[in-house]
Amino acid sequence: MKFETSTEQLFTATTIASRFAEKRANLPVLQSVLLVAEGGRLSLRATNLECGVEIIVPAKVTTEGVVAIPAGVLSGFLSNARGKVVSGVLEGEVFKIEAERAAASMKTIPHEDFPLLPRVSAEKAFTVKSSDLSRAIRNVAYCASTSAVKPELQSVLLQGEGGKLLVAATDSFRLAEKSISLRSGGSVPQLLLPARNAAELMRILDTTNGDVEVYYNENQISTHVDNTYYTSRLIDGTFPNYHQIIPKTFLTEAVVLREDLSASLKSLSVFADKFSQVSLAIDPVKKTILLSSRNPDVGEQTSSLRATIVGEETTMSFNGRYLADSLQAITGESVRLHANGAGKPMLIKDAVDESFFYLAMPMNR
Amino acid sequence: MTTTKELWENALVELELTISKPNFNTWFKDTHVVRVEDGVVYLGVPSQFARDWLSTKFHKDILRSLRGLSDSVRSVEYVISRGVKKTDEPKTVPSAPSELPLENVHAKTNLNPRFTLQTFIVGPFNELAHAAAQAVIRKPGIAYNPLLIYGPTGLGKTHLIQSIGNHFRINAPDRKVQYVTSEKFSMDYVSSIQSGKIQSFKEKYRQYDLLIMDDVQFLAKMEKTKEEFFHLFNYLHDGNKQLVFSSDQHPNVIQNLEDRLKSRFSAGMIVSVTPPDHESRLAIVRSKASAHGVVLPDEVLEYLATAVEGNVRELEGALNLLLIQLEIRTEPLTINDAKTLLRGASNMTRKSVSVQEVVKTIAGFYGVEEGSIYEKTRRKEVVRPRQVIMFLLREDFKISFPTIGEKLGGRDHTTVIHSCEKIRTNIQTDSVLSQELQQIRLMLK
Repeated sequence: MKFETSTEQLFTATTIASRFAEKRANLPVLQSVLLVAEGGRLSLRATNLECGVEIIVPAKVTTEGVVAIPAGVLSGFLSNARGKVVSGVLEGEVFKIEAERAAASMKTIPHEDFPLLPRVSAEKAFTVKSSDLSRAIRNVAYCASTSAVKPELQSVLLQGEGGKLLVAATDSFRLAEKSISLRSGGSVPQLLLPARNAAELMRILDTTNGDVEVYYNENQISTHVDNTYYTSRLIDGTFPNYHQIIPKTFLTEAVVLREDLSASLKSLSVFADKFSQVSLAIDPVKKTILLSSRNPDVGEQTSSLRATIVGEETTMSFNGRYLADSLQAITGESVRLHANGAGKPMLIKDAVDESFFYLAMPMNR
Repeated sequence: MTTTKELWENALVELELTISKPNFNTWFKDTHVVRVEDGVVYLGVPSQFARDWLSTKFHKDILRSLRGLSDSVRSVEYVISRGVKKTDEPKTVPSAPSELPLENVHAKTNLNPRFTLQTFIVGPFNELAHAAAQAVIRKPGIAYNPLLIYGPTGLGKTHLIQSIGNHFRINAPDRKVQYVTSEKFSMDYVSSIQSGKIQSFKEKYRQYDLLIMDDVQFLAKMEKTKEEFFHLFNYLHDGNKQLVFSSDQHPNVIQNLEDRLKSRFSAGMIVSVTPPDHESRLAIVRSKASAHGVVLPDEVLEYLATAVEGNVRELEGALNLLLIQLEIRTEPLTINDAKTLLRGASNMTRKSVSVQEVVKTIAGFYGVEEGSIYEKTRRKEVVRPRQVIMFLLREDFKISFPTIGEKLGGRDHTTVIHSCEKIRTNIQTDSVLSQELQQIRLMLK
């Protein structure tokens, strides 16, 4: 095996691939990035058996060949490599790599055990704008559960209907849903993408601007973005039917500036108790929302926000962190809060953008 | 003929020898045989990764070892099977806020569907408990939370608390119910510590909307479990989740139970079930007999209800004894047959207990010295136990007044009569005293 390629491209590809390599794998080969040099290109593969990636880098291949190199070692060398061109050659079990004024020999891992990346046939597919999907995942993925008790909640839901792709996640204490437009693909059944793998997909989607085509079958999802092939397993399960629990009518509706709310939640968090409890008192007469938090060991704080309010006066308690989380997904200037009084969930939306909502459950005390 | 499961296990043993350990652990860990059809073995694998790799890399090895074990195997197919186990440890526990009412996959409730309120016989001895159970079913989490039902063994506590669970499940099929004995809870806790999965233990129990725990008195002896139970209790109670317990004693008299737990039990509703009275026993016997589809003469039923006092379970046992006899004999059962058959089961012949033993037990219960009972002292802490002893000796052991007086340090029989009268009237008003008596009677059995 002998090849020459661009230092920068190989470095970028290695950085992406090494995120898929597992550091403490049962199978040593899973700690590695697999380099396959053939026919004028170099392909890099890595997988943790949950999700996997293959990146194609153009290269001048003198001798074809395959090698598995520990991901950390390869990316460590490349991150400090200078010069436009890097060349690699496999001599026996040692991989020699040379950049400008630096050369290294790396121990390799037998590559025969490196698994195949599952391929998904293109029969079932949908197309969306890459930046839309990436943003949608970013807007909801933090809501996914981290507990293994209900695997279906450790996921990001993708479901397409009527020209829209719904992207949602919940840990049963809060729920976020973002809808984006489908370029093609009509109806997409429930696909439960593991939340951890969704984060990797998001990073890959961020590298491109155009449309992205996503293929799926019952167990696996995959996509091509430029020179990158991504694949992940899907969680087998049924996402809870959340549409029925979203309140349709509200007693109180308030509009506040996002920045204001975000800043006061941040400062209130200093005084929040271990459950991050923040109480909201919405007062339609004074046109204010009074936020307060209290921790017997620290002290207490109140903070008042000017707001446009329609409906009844009400006081509710929420986990402040959950409220703050919702704001990172909202980009507009103002936020709408829809409430139904104490003990009822509150719906949070962008004042103008209808494509996103966030439902937070109240706290009991 | 080996089962398919054994077949695959044997194949795995063989494969383990030919394949390197990391490879074996990675690829064969979650595999199992889904079904075998026409010589084709369908192997369930956790993901497409595993399916692709097993079928390209290990297919020959797998097929060879399966064929070696069973001649009927022709080929192997790989399917991605449902319900892959995940072993990830959860990192954070979101707490306090109530959960979204998402519909759940039906969880195993551990409930016996046989126990419902329709099959529960209500009498004066348990009507309060029955009413409380109904209220809990109507308004779970609100009416009486927690509900604790206590009473001696065999009086339908388990039946009652399980029927709460069964009715709750029917009324709200999407909510989670769990019935667990305190022993199972404790075992779960211990094994979760051993395997370092305490967090999933906590999460498992905290997800329930209704938690029913049987025989909570056993928790008293288990320090760590008790502490975990305390936290679980707080969590569920704060979330307005219904808690239902049973115990064989009032929580206030359970030894080694902390005050914080006692007071928490008292926060809801504590009801007792007492042994059924004669009429209720008769009703129970009748209904049980008719449930078995047999008709017994009234006098036999009457005898059964009289002879077997107290415990409903014993009553059922005695009835079963008669029913078996009924099956093997041709002529109808007479009262005399019943008497002979039930000689062992009847507790009309109470076992004799020596006076010393009674004194020792009761003195121990009240924490006074045994010797002081026989003395002439009239200290308050001795007087009450002494009166209780006299009362029980008379009531339960049918010892004559003069004998009691004589045995207890040569007292006059009128003193004994006075004591018995006093206790008898006090029981009506003093609930602590009547509980104490119940306790002591249990200890003397």
